[in-house]
Amino acid sequence: MTSPILEASGVTMQFGGLRALNDVSFGLAEGEVIGLIGPNGAGKTTLFNCLTGLYAPTSGTVSSRGTPLPHDPARVTEQGVARTFQNIRLFPSMTAEENVLVGRHVRMKQSPIISLLHGPGFRKSEREARERTAELLEFVGLARFSDELARNLPYGDQRRLEIARALATDPSVLLLDEPTAGMNAQETEATRQLIFAIRMLGTSVVVIEHDTKFIFTLCDRVLVLVQGEVLVEGTPDEVRGDPRVIEAYLGAPPDEVEAQIHEAEETQ
Amino acid sequence: MTTIEARAVPTAVPRRGRLDGLWSALAPRATVLRVLAGVLTIIGTYLPWATFVLNEGPYPDKATLNFFVDPLGVTGFRLHLLVIGIAMIVVALLGLPAAGRIIRGLGWGTIAVAVINGLYILVQGGGFGAVTASDGAVAFGAVVALVGGLVAVLGGTAGGLGAKPELTWRLPWWAEWLILLVVFAIVLFLVAGVLTSGGQGGVVNPYAGAVFLSVLGALGGAISALSASGLLTWVSAVSERHRIFSVVVLLVVALLLPLTSAGTEYWMTVAANIGVYAATAIGLNIVVGLAGLLDLGYVAFLGIGAFVAANLSGAAASEIGIELPFPLVMIISAVVAGIFGAIVGSPTLRVRGDYLAIVTLAFGEIFVRSAQNNIGGLTGGANAIPNIPAVSAFGQSFAAPLTIGAVKLPSGVLYYVLIVLLVAAVMLVFANLKNSRLGRAWIAIREDEDAARAMGIRTGPVKILAFMIGATLAGLAGAFFAHKTGVVAYDSFQFIQSVTLLASVILGGMGTIPGAVLGASILFVLPEKLREFADYRLLIFGLALVVIMRFRPQGLIPDAHRRAELAPDAEDETPVVDVTT
Repeated sequence: MTSPILEASGVTMQFGGLRALNDVSFGLAEGEVIGLIGPNGAGKTTLFNCLTGLYAPTSGTVSSRGTPLPHDPARVTEQGVARTFQNIRLFPSMTAEENVLVGRHVRMKQSPIISLLHGPGFRKSEREARERTAELLEFVGLARFSDELARNLPYGDQRRLEIARALATDPSVLLLDEPTAGMNAQETEATRQLIFAIRMLGTSVVVIEHDTKFIFTLCDRVLVLVQGEVLVEGTPDEVRGDPRVIEAYLGAPPDEVEAQIHEAEETQ
Repeated sequence: MTTIEARAVPTAVPRRGRLDGLWSALAPRATVLRVLAGVLTIIGTYLPWATFVLNEGPYPDKATLNFFVDPLGVTGFRLHLLVIGIAMIVVALLGLPAAGRIIRGLGWGTIAVAVINGLYILVQGGGFGAVTASDGAVAFGAVVALVGGLVAVLGGTAGGLGAKPELTWRLPWWAEWLILLVVFAIVLFLVAGVLTSGGQGGVVNPYAGAVFLSVLGALGGAISALSASGLLTWVSAVSERHRIFSVVVLLVVALLLPLTSAGTEYWMTVAANIGVYAATAIGLNIVVGLAGLLDLGYVAFLGIGAFVAANLSGAAASEIGIELPFPLVMIISAVVAGIFGAIVGSPTLRVRGDYLAIVTLAFGEIFVRSAQNNIGGLTGGANAIPNIPAVSAFGQSFAAPLTIGAVKLPSGVLYYVLIVLLVAAVMLVFANLKNSRLGRAWIAIREDEDAARAMGIRTGPVKILAFMIGATLAGLAGAFFAHKTGVVAYDSFQFIQSVTLLASVILGGMGTIPGAVLGASILFVLPEKLREFADYRLLIFGLALVVIMRFRPQGLIPDAHRRAELAPDAEDETPVVDVTT
C-alpha cells in the first residue's frame, strides 16, 4: 500500500486546560470510507477541524500522500481535502448553482485581471465551471433547484447541496460532518446511496455520524472516538462486537444497544 | 418545498389583520371608492391651494386664488394630480386585474404630492388657515386632494389588490428594440425633468425643494402604479433579452442629456458631481455590497485621488509643481489610491465586522486630519489647493463652452461627457467582476467567511483586492473631481461624506449598479435642492432616509437575491426601476 491519502499521526489538540484530542492516529486509504463515531463531545468535529487546517494541532501532524498539510483551510482544500459542516454552512443568498460555483473556485484558472476584462479564456473557464456545476447538481439530484436561493431549499436538499459544493473542489478526500442529521429515514437512505456513489467516483470519505445503523452499513472501517482518544478501530463487525464500544460510546444498557445493532444487521 | 411556494405572487386576497372588518365592509363599494378617489383628486386639482398670493410670482404653477383665470391651464404639481386622478378613474372602470394595486400606488403618490405642497404652503402662510379658509378666502385644494389619495388607498386595498400580472408578450426583435428606444427616451426626459424640476435651489428660487420633492412624490406614485401593472417587469425582461442593445442605448441616452432642458452649465455641473459620487459609490459597493466589509472612511480614497491629481497637474499652490497630461494623472491617482486601499484593507485579515468599521473610520479621520494640517505640504491645509488647471484636449478646454457647427453647448458639457464615460467604465468593472470567480468569492465571504475558506478561497488576498479595486475606482473619480472643481480642500472628504456614500449604497440597493447610481443621485441632489430649507435641510434629508429604509429595507433597486432576503413579503413589493442614467 502506498502512503495513505489522508493520515493523522499523533494529533493532539489542547484548548487551555482541555485536551480535546489526545494522540489520535489513523490512515485513510484511496477509495476507502471511514466512519467516525463517538458520543457528543468526543472530539469528532475537532478532529475534522484539525484535518482541514481550521485548527493547528497542538502536536502531531496531518498529511496527505506523505506531504504534511498546511494549517490553512483554503490551501488544504486546494490539496484535495473538502468538507461539509455539522450545522449547514451554505451561502444562503446565493443560488444553488452559485454555491457550487464557489466550490469550483480552486479549480478555475481565472486571474483577477481576466475577471476584470473578461479577457481570453474567461468564457471558457466560466463555461467549464458551469458545466461541472450542472453535472454535480444532477449528481446529487438538485438540478431542478439550480436557480433557487440556497436559503429556500428544503433542509435535506441543503445538506445535499453542501455535498455538491464540496465535491466541486474535486477532492480526493471528502469529510462529511453528520450528513444525515435531522433527516427522516427516506432522506437518510438517499444520502447513503449518494455516499456510495461518491465512493464509486474514487473519492475517499470520512463520515461523522450518530446513526450507528447508517455507519455500519456504509463504512469499510469505523473509528470510535471517546474523550478525544481512539478507543477502537476496525471493521464494522469488529467494532459492533466490541464490548468497550457498547459500554463507553453508547452509555446505554447493553441489550438495548444490541437490539439496535441486530436491527442494523437485518436491514443489511 | 413550502418555503418556495410561500414566495409565489400573492393572490387577490386582501390583507389579513386588525383591519379585516374595515376591508370587508368596504369591499362591495370598492369600485365606487376608486372612482370617487379619482374625482376627488381632480377636484383637488382645480380648487385653489392657498388663501394668499404666494410671493409675487405664483407658487409653482398657480397655487393661488387667481387660478381660475386660466382654468384648463394646469401645470406643475396640479398637472401631475390631474393625470393621476384621470388614471385612477380609467383604471377603476376598466377593471384591470391589478387595479387595486395600481390605484393604491397612485393613491400614495397623490398623498405625497398633497402633503408636500400642503405643508409647504402651510408653513409659508403661517398656519392651517393657509390651506383651508382665512380672511374670507377658501383654498381646500390640498385637503381635497389628500382625501382623494386616502380614499384611493382604501378603495384600492378594500377591493382586493389583485395579483401583479406577469406579462410574457414576445414581439419581433425590431418591435422590442423600438419599445426600448421609446422607454429610454422617456427615461432621458424624466431624468432631465426631475433633475431640473423646481430649478436651481437657494436664495434665487425658494421653491426648488418643495417642487422637487413633489415631483419625486408624483413620480414615485406613477412608478409604483406601473410596477403594479407588471409593465416595468416586462420592460426590464425585454431589456435583459437585448442586453447589449440596451447598454449602448443607455450610454447614448446619457450622453444626450446636455441636449435636453438639463443642458445648462449649472445642471451639467450638478450632473458631473452626481457622476463623481456615483462612480465612488459603485467602488464602495464592491467593498460593502459584494464583499460585505463595512467601510466608514471610504471618502478618503476619493480625497487621495483628488490630492494626487491636484499635485501633478501644475497647480501653483502645489509643492511638487509638475504638470502631467490628464490621462496619466488619472492613472497615477487611481494607483496611489489603490495602494492606500490595500494598506487599509490589510487589517481586515485580523479584524471583522464592527471592529473593521472602526479601523476604517480611524483611517478616514487620519486622512482628513493630515490633509487639514497640510502634512507633507501636499494638501494645502486650510488654504486647499486652488487653481487646478482644467482638462483640455485638442486645444479645447473642458471648462469652456463648446460649439459644434451650429450647436452651442454650455461649458461643463465636456466634463459631463467625460464623467459619463468614466461612470460607464466603472460600471463595466463592477459588472465584470461581480460575475466572475473573484466576484463570487467576495459574495461568499460576505455570506460566510469560514465556509468560504473551507471552499478554498484565500480570504486574505481576496478581501484586500476588494479594498484595492474599490479604492482605485474612487481614486479615478477623485482625479476627475480635482480637475472639474479646480479646488481640492480637505473638508470635501469629511466623515459625513463617507456616511452619505454608504447611505447611497444602502438606499439604492446593495450590490447593484443602478442602485448605487440612483442612491448617489438622490443623496447628492436632495441637499442641493433643499437649500432654502436651511436648518431643516438635514432633518428632511434624514427623515426621507428613515422613511425609505422603513418601507424598502432592501433598497430602491435591490439585488434579486437580496430582495428575497429582506422584503417582508411579496405583498409590499414596490417599484423596481431601471434608471441607469
